[in-house]
Amino acid sequence: MKIFKNLIHFSTARPKFIVSIVIAAAIFFGMQFPKITIDTDPENMLSEKEFVRIFHHEVKKEFGLYDFIVVGIVNEHDENGVFNPETLNRIVDLTNKIKDIQGVISYELISLSTKDNIRQGDTPGMVIFEWLMQKAPQNSKAALFIRDEAKDNPMLDGTIVSEDGKAACIYVPIEAKKESYRIAQKIKEYVKAFNGQEQFFITGLPVAEDTFGVEMFKQMAISAPLAGLIIFLIMWFFFKKISLVFSPMIVAMASIIYTMGLLIGKGFTVHIMISMIPIFLMPIAVVDSVHILSEFYDKYDQFRDRRKAIHHVMDELFMPMLYTSLTSAVGFASLAFTPIPPVKIFGLFVAYGIMMAWLLTITFIPAYIMLLKESSLSSFGKKAADHHENIFDKMLEAMGRFSQHQSKLIIAIVILILAISIYGITKININDNPVRWFTEKHDIRIADKVLNEHFGGTYTAYLVLDSVNQTHEDFKDPKVLMWVEKLQKKLISSGKVGKSTSIADVVKKVYYELLGGDKANNKIPDSRNAVAQCLLSYENSHKPDDLWHLVTTNFNKANIWIQLKSGDNQDMEQVVTVVNEFIVDNPPPVELKTGWAGLTYINTVWQEKMVKGMMSALLGSFIMVFVLMIILFRSFIWGLLCMIPLSATIIFIYGLIGLVGKDYDMPVAVLSSLTLGLSVDFAIHFLQRTKELYKRTNNWEQTLGELFKEPARAISKNALVIAIGFTPLLIAPLVPYKTVGFFMMMIMIVSAIATLFILPAIISMFRGIIFRGDRVPKIKDER
Amino acid sequence: MKRILSLLLAAGLTLFFSGSSFAEVLSAEQIVKKANEAYYYQGDNGRSRVNMKIEDRQGNVREKEFVILRLNIVKGGPQKYYVYYEKPNDVRGTVFMVWKYLDKDDDRWLYLPGLNLVNRIAASDKRSSFAGSNFVYEDISGRNLNYDKHELIDDKGDVYVIKGIPKVPSEVEFAYYISNINKENFIPVKVEYYDNQDKVIRILETKQIIDVQGYPTVKEAVASDLRSGGKTIIDFNDVEYDIGLDEDVFTERYLQRPPMKWLK
Repeated sequence: MKIFKNLIHFSTARPKFIVSIVIAAAIFFGMQFPKITIDTDPENMLSEKEFVRIFHHEVKKEFGLYDFIVVGIVNEHDENGVFNPETLNRIVDLTNKIKDIQGVISYELISLSTKDNIRQGDTPGMVIFEWLMQKAPQNSKAALFIRDEAKDNPMLDGTIVSEDGKAACIYVPIEAKKESYRIAQKIKEYVKAFNGQEQFFITGLPVAEDTFGVEMFKQMAISAPLAGLIIFLIMWFFFKKISLVFSPMIVAMASIIYTMGLLIGKGFTVHIMISMIPIFLMPIAVVDSVHILSEFYDKYDQFRDRRKAIHHVMDELFMPMLYTSLTSAVGFASLAFTPIPPVKIFGLFVAYGIMMAWLLTITFIPAYIMLLKESSLSSFGKKAADHHENIFDKMLEAMGRFSQHQSKLIIAIVILILAISIYGITKININDNPVRWFTEKHDIRIADKVLNEHFGGTYTAYLVLDSVNQTHEDFKDPKVLMWVEKLQKKLISSGKVGKSTSIADVVKKVYYELLGGDKANNKIPDSRNAVAQCLLSYENSHKPDDLWHLVTTNFNKANIWIQLKSGDNQDMEQVVTVVNEFIVDNPPPVELKTGWAGLTYINTVWQEKMVKGMMSALLGSFIMVFVLMIILFRSFIWGLLCMIPLSATIIFIYGLIGLVGKDYDMPVAVLSSLTLGLSVDFAIHFLQRTKELYKRTNNWEQTLGELFKEPARAISKNALVIAIGFTPLLIAPLVPYKTVGFFMMMIMIVSAIATLFILPAIISMFRGIIFRGDRVPKIKDER
Repeated sequence: MKRILSLLLAAGLTLFFSGSSFAEVLSAEQIVKKANEAYYYQGDNGRSRVNMKIEDRQGNVREKEFVILRLNIVKGGPQKYYVYYEKPNDVRGTVFMVWKYLDKDDDRWLYLPGLNLVNRIAASDKRSSFAGSNFVYEDISGRNLNYDKHELIDDKGDVYVIKGIPKVPSEVEFAYYISNINKENFIPVKVEYYDNQDKVIRILETKQIIDVQGYPTVKEAVASDLRSGGKTIIDFNDVEYDIGLDEDVFTERYLQRPPMKWLK
């Protein structure tokens, strides 16, 4: 530790040198920023080598599938919904415009005007293959004819035309997901030019994900600086001296620039998760400086010499600051053990940033204070002679007395609250859905709601059935197709699936149309040749390639396109369970392997990894922090004592999440490490001071009295600065930002309360064991 | 006055020196008419065994095989086609029959032995796929010359370059097409279809021309769809002309009982 102490002395001796190094480093790392590459694809939450991703891309390639933007057109005013000449005209017009947008795979666009239809001809025995809507109809009779034909086609009904005919959809296949925001904006532009009765909605997972990325980076530029500003204002209020209050802000800024600069310079892409680094670093970086300022503010008047005062403060705070930084860093570094690449990078770089902030705190802050003129500090600080105590101080002292005298009551209340919280934890609902990352009033949430009311569902998953025997062309076998048909019925009856499409649907449609259009024949024909010949007939249409989205050309692999009404991972998981159970109860006539693809499914995979990874990371860092505390206090009991407020905080916060019914989603999972790292801080400061004071006084009552002066002031000021500082996040339009803001407030307030109430109460009750005789534990200190 | 005289003189000189080839210059209409006949009307009637390889973007290949019988009712006018599927095995015996007209929609029949069913097939246009391949119906039976406006846009080396612009653009998936037509035998060697952004979306190519009974005959043709990434190779085997087919074969009667004599 000596080397660091020397560093502090060096900093006060050569402040200008330190400040110029800090500035030079900031310039160097700041210059890396233009190299930034941004990645907003949640799929990258999984490693590129992850099985489900590889499989998903194979399936997409094999069946010629693309990620879709879904454009919904709803007409609630016309009695025939969208099926009037004007609306259909706009659909044709919009479809043609979308086809020409760069990045759209126009050939695979699914719309009323790009699909083929099979129907009965004017004379018996005649079958017509034609475009469903080659051009917009001229009159309402023709419009209704199109509606009836579309609704009669199992490939179109519930997919591009709604049950009630009020709505139609355009599925826009795109080359790359990262293009979806741009393409969606372009579509919005076209839609604005229309001024009919109909409403247009744009949704789909790629848009939600990409839009989220774009808005997240926008929020980054608003929320982080706004939080910084409020933190600055509160510190100004507490410490009065504006020039001094700048220093923690500089520490925060510099550590953010160093961290992000290194990350960008090293060539890491800035993923959604990683864009959150500044907002996580800011409070952590400020906390230590607030302790210093708070202590400096209280002590300056004793010394009236900034060098002496700062050395005194640094001596007092050096160990707690080192350990609070280490524990926070450990909490984040433990994320490196999660199986999710961006989270690993996030964790390691936040840990690095925390240690940078610590280094800046012990060097830059003393140097900065030295550079201020002594005379400018004349009005600074709490006057020792000033006995006029404010309400804030009186409250703190009252709290101290209360926790000593009512220790049993406090502990009883704490136990009661924890019991309720643990019950809450059992109620935690693990679920996520990128669309829900937007607030309810967001366009995407509204579009999602409206379109899923009208259609089979805008969330896509693909169930791939693969014959084990690769030579039998099993998907021409009527028995296999009938089994697929049954599986699809089961999917619908699960209530989670609004629509599913398979090769069986195509065969049935062609079969009954060829037989004269009688719905009684809406079934799989009974011979392999009949199936093959129905498909051959279908191949004579305008879009024979549509078949190969549902079956491979060798007929050994089939794809069921499943449309879910909700993108909630829970719902997707339930669908997977339904299929697994069905297969157990109804073994397929030939041996089949099943596999899942589609964005909705992929989200469930990384979510599961995330939850499991976070649990083990949390557990691992809990143990690490515990060990660190035993080392710091050189006592098992003190180490244990230190873990109590943070455990109570974690249990309380997660209990609350379970009780209010907020889903345990990605942001909540990531925040667990922050909770752990931050909520131990106050306990470290508090216990460290307890020891020092007790060593001096050898009297608990006296120690307690002192504790509820400067130390308690520093803790509660800190809690208020961060808690209030993060309120702007609560009004952000993105839910994960609200979550982060809420967590920050809760961590600060709850861990401050837990520290200030529970620790004195426990120490009061067990002081015999805690301060056992003369064996007052000594803290390793090289002063 | 002087200027008019010199212009006249220049015109006269041009006529004089280019005189010999001038007489042989064909109009766009004449070229496409000859091409149509060379490609679709060779002989009075004929037969060929067609092997079709349909290859998708990933290189998966499906093969189909059928025998085509053709009869010209009037050269350049109505025709009858009989397509008998031999492979794959599960569609063997399927028959597709067409009576092609110039002044009205074609009559088409489909016989499916697995369903024991004869259907009349109607279509709003002739741009649908032929047997699931990248050839469309019109590529096989010919596109009505009156559907397009033809322009001779270039005359280079051994090919005429003709631009065809559809008179009713909404009925087709392309904006225009450009054909390279062999000057000697009038067989189109390459036809490129463009979309309204002047991007090529589909290409038809004649890969090999052979002589059969004195008729220049397409042996191998390829259709490539640049949007889907698929392509289809058609190989014409055992081509024979003027084998004595008569209209009797092209009737509903022979759908269910194929005229095996002609199909071997």
